[in-house]
Amino acid sequence: MKEEKKDDGVMAEEKPYMFWIWTLASTIFRLFLIFSPENINLSSRPEVSTPHTSLRRLAEGYWLKQSSLSPYAGSMYHGSPLLLSILGPLTVQRIEGQSSHHLCSLVFVIADLLSALLLRAIGQKLQKSYRMNLRPLGVLRSSQDRGILPCGDIAALVYLWNPFTILSCVGLSTSPIENLAVIVSLYGAVTRRVPLAAFGLIMATHLSLYSAPLVFPLIFLLGYGLDAPPIKKFLQTRHGGVETGSTSDVSKQEKLTPTTQLPFSWRTVLHFVFWVLVWSSYVLVLCSLSLKQYGGLEEMFKRTYGFILRIEDLSPNIGVFWYFFAEAFEFSRNYLLIIFNLYILLTSIPSLMFRLKHRPCFLAFAYLAFTSILKSYPSVGDAALYLSLWALFVNELTDMEYSFFIFCGYIGFSLLSPVMHNFWIWRGTGNANFYFGNAMGYACFQVKSLKPWIYFRPH
Amino acid sequence: MATVNRDNVEEVKTDDGSPKIKPRPIVRLGIFLIAHSPIFSVVFSAAGVLALLLLPLLAKNTYISENALMPGSARSMLSNQDVSDGSKLVNDIKNCRLNHEGQGVEVQKLIGKYMSDMGAEVSYQKFHPEGNQFHPLHFFSGPDSYTLLENVSCASYGVNVAGIIRAPRGDGKESIVLVTPYDFINGGDYESLSLGIVSSLFSLLSRVTWLSKDIIWLVADSRYGDYRPVAAWLNEYHSPSFKVSELLKCDELNTADNFRRAGTMAAALVLKVDGRSERFEDTLSIYAEASNGQMPNLDLINVVNYLAVHRQGFYVKVEKVVSLLSSSWLKIFGEIFEAVGKLAHTLNPDWNFGIPAADYLEGSATLASSLYSQALGIPTGPHGAFRDYQVDAITLKVSPRFPPDSKTRQHDFFLRGARLLEGTIRSVNNLLEKFHQSFFLYMLTSPSKFISVGVYMIAFALLVAPLPMVAASLYIDGCKALTNSTHNSAGNFKSWKWLDAAKQVFALHLLGFIVTLLPYFICQVPGQHSPRNRSIMWGTTSSSLLLITFVTIPGCSLFSSRPHGTNWAVLKSVTIAAAFIGLCLMSIINFATAEIGALLLVPTCLMAQPIKPALRSRRVKSLLGAFCSLVLVTIGFPVIFFAISKGLLGEGLGGLSLGGEFWIWLESLWAWKSATYLYIGMVHLPCWLLCLCILFHPS
Repeated sequence: MKEEKKDDGVMAEEKPYMFWIWTLASTIFRLFLIFSPENINLSSRPEVSTPHTSLRRLAEGYWLKQSSLSPYAGSMYHGSPLLLSILGPLTVQRIEGQSSHHLCSLVFVIADLLSALLLRAIGQKLQKSYRMNLRPLGVLRSSQDRGILPCGDIAALVYLWNPFTILSCVGLSTSPIENLAVIVSLYGAVTRRVPLAAFGLIMATHLSLYSAPLVFPLIFLLGYGLDAPPIKKFLQTRHGGVETGSTSDVSKQEKLTPTTQLPFSWRTVLHFVFWVLVWSSYVLVLCSLSLKQYGGLEEMFKRTYGFILRIEDLSPNIGVFWYFFAEAFEFSRNYLLIIFNLYILLTSIPSLMFRLKHRPCFLAFAYLAFTSILKSYPSVGDAALYLSLWALFVNELTDMEYSFFIFCGYIGFSLLSPVMHNFWIWRGTGNANFYFGNAMGYACFQVKSLKPWIYFRPH
Repeated sequence: MATVNRDNVEEVKTDDGSPKIKPRPIVRLGIFLIAHSPIFSVVFSAAGVLALLLLPLLAKNTYISENALMPGSARSMLSNQDVSDGSKLVNDIKNCRLNHEGQGVEVQKLIGKYMSDMGAEVSYQKFHPEGNQFHPLHFFSGPDSYTLLENVSCASYGVNVAGIIRAPRGDGKESIVLVTPYDFINGGDYESLSLGIVSSLFSLLSRVTWLSKDIIWLVADSRYGDYRPVAAWLNEYHSPSFKVSELLKCDELNTADNFRRAGTMAAALVLKVDGRSERFEDTLSIYAEASNGQMPNLDLINVVNYLAVHRQGFYVKVEKVVSLLSSSWLKIFGEIFEAVGKLAHTLNPDWNFGIPAADYLEGSATLASSLYSQALGIPTGPHGAFRDYQVDAITLKVSPRFPPDSKTRQHDFFLRGARLLEGTIRSVNNLLEKFHQSFFLYMLTSPSKFISVGVYMIAFALLVAPLPMVAASLYIDGCKALTNSTHNSAGNFKSWKWLDAAKQVFALHLLGFIVTLLPYFICQVPGQHSPRNRSIMWGTTSSSLLLITFVTIPGCSLFSSRPHGTNWAVLKSVTIAAAFIGLCLMSIINFATAEIGALLLVPTCLMAQPIKPALRSRRVKSLLGAFCSLVLVTIGFPVIFFAISKGLLGEGLGGLSLGGEFWIWLESLWAWKSATYLYIGMVHLPCWLLCLCILFHPS
């Protein structure tokens, strides 16, 4: 967390080559951590790798598949069969003299770099549209002297230097790839490359079910265009220019009903839907081919999506569900499952959608942040994704209050988590409540810090 | 406490923007506290120190929490025959050592023969006494698997003997461990008495029918210290190495493939006999502190204490700082508390919190010792090795009141010692689960009085409570000042002004991290170096790194003349926030370290202010403040604090020998994987440097 802030300061000075230096430095840092002799055993940390993203489980699944068993046998592997085919062979190959998994780590480093570059591209687009939108609103004139922050560079560096990202990259979890898929879909939508957006969405959904509702932000993004202030604001400014009473207008315009709808390009959206269908059928065919002998698609859905939705693995993680379901009575389990899963879907998507219709990228961020709190197997990799997406909106959020408090909170909770885990698992003097208390505090804190971000009204 | 305060901070800021909404009461309380933070910080800190002094008063009597233990409810079955078995073993060992002049493994074989005669399974284990190795990143993982050294020589190794009695009612999945450290080469007469006691007990246990947990008797070869052999045996017990050790070929004793195990350990008792008791009764000292201030379950201590006091008539004590017993200021406190207690009692007969001044002195001395050994993080005996495997263990050190050669008294002593152990084992044997009922987080003020975590945390919470308050108020002040000073370009980043200060804080914390890891690399420097040289190496590298930091990172410069650096108030606010997070984390890992650290760090952080304006203003108050903060910062430097505490203990040190001593002390800390070392390097040192930065801030 600290480093990313450090980079903000550096980037504010507008040195283009600094970006590449810091990018290179982050890559070297990752490689250093991967090849360092001191084994800190990150891959066994519950914060870093969950049952759903652990590479060790993937290696196990690959091993099972090599021995002509179903990769899902024995409830070890719960990821996608395609990922198994891509990463699986890498888990058994070794660079000479090194332990295995190093090739996979290299793949993760590349994924992180790609994500960062795509984030940068998204940021540049957003920055351009931000500038374009501010000009008619007349805000830019007053703020020209301060300049607009290069949010793309900042977001990319926040992504690269965020300790959470580094941990999940070095800690042998597949979340860098999941994050890459999400970012690819956003990039495709922002640059209006419809097939790419659809591909990213399908891959992200395939890797982790929780990315599926991203389809709404993507549709908005393709239909309405990039993030912009609500259209009523433009109308208001046009009138306000005549009336010259901007402060009173601000309160008045809240009550105004939007008279003009945003133009919605149905064609692009239909195009997108078409491509979603194409890619999903393609992925399904590939999966069914790869799992032909082992029960086919039905087995896959049961073992991947079913595993996510039914919360079968109750090993501790930084989420809040494992504890609830470890305590829940068997007869109420199904009921609770329905409640919990619907809660994520119903509380996040509709309300956010209406509120942030005109800001689809921010909607995507808000949704990702929301799921990373409430998903069944969260890890720090999810937090890394939404934190770097958050950095895309530094221009809008510069005036945000109590950033320092949020920063301290993130540091405090992320340091407290391993301590509590140590207390419970190694020392035996604490119990599960200690670790869960921290997880719950972390979740509450995230919600509390998310609330002002979402309800913050920039201009 | 922490979250509540932080919440308040947040709410204040939200509600500043929208004054129409009437804030909730807790928010108003927060605003009130922050607005009057100087007064409240003094009040809270003083209350924290006072609460610490009050702790001996607040100690509660111990009680046996787990009902299944039922100590002392069964009649002892130990017979005179068993005791004479023990005495015979002691005599045989004496003769054997006279015959063999401390060579070979004859004594071990003799003990092994006794064990197998009693019907136990005997196994021998050879181990290599390892040097201190510094693994900087292994602090928070589980117990290390000791890597087999490649070049082990037969010159130095030890042989442990372990005998296991299988329980007639057990399934071999649980066990109770008895450990007697014994130096086979030059152990004294007193030491062999512990073998006699356990041997008597072992002879009894091999016959009884009530055992449901296997009994392991480990005779640890303590010629290389008490701890190492036990740790080596435990390591072999829990994580066997499948490599064939070179040690196997060292003598005729074949130890391959005969290591025996007996399931999870329910509890472990280490028995030592040393010296003559100074008192009229036999004395039993209980040592419980394991690494990083971990304690065994209080029930284990309660059982031993109950049986020793009420059944066997031992005088039970726990370690205390003797010098505190005669300290006059503590006595004054004790008398004041006594008077207040009496006064309260006269006002309302139900208020019985007063204790006599002498008791208070005893309690504080014991508490101080408890705090000290927990803060060091070094186990006080071989029982520490068990705690790494989550086994509750204590060391019982018995001092008989007779000289070692008195035969008649010895019989009685064996009888009572073995009965004490028998009763304890019988209680533990009753347990169906691990010890879990009673406290793990507590401090002892006497063998039968304890302070639980809920009480002693109050003292700490009061002590650190000013930190978030002052941080918030400074942050608000600093932001206002920054907005005023850089008016034109301040429209942007209204809430990001702390970034520069955070950069500086982060840089110094990174530096602290590197300095913490440096000894690892210094130890790798080839050649033999004295501790003094090593400490000089460390000091020079660290200070050159510090210089580099100051030069490269502009905000950090101590003596820069640039007026527009970071605002010192914001810097102080971020520093305090970092110190707060560090202290709170440490209080969870090791309370005692955090408490002592907070006593040093909190005043330093709160008092730190730039001295330049104070010197310029020439007002007595500000000069006094500057002087205080200078003194606090001087004391806060770890080496100087070390020297001062050494000096208080009566060992004057100065100059370079201090560096050597300090190095040796640190070496002992990291050899025991003490988190205190990490705390000093990664929390205390950076915060201290930051306070220095604030002190010499060019404002």
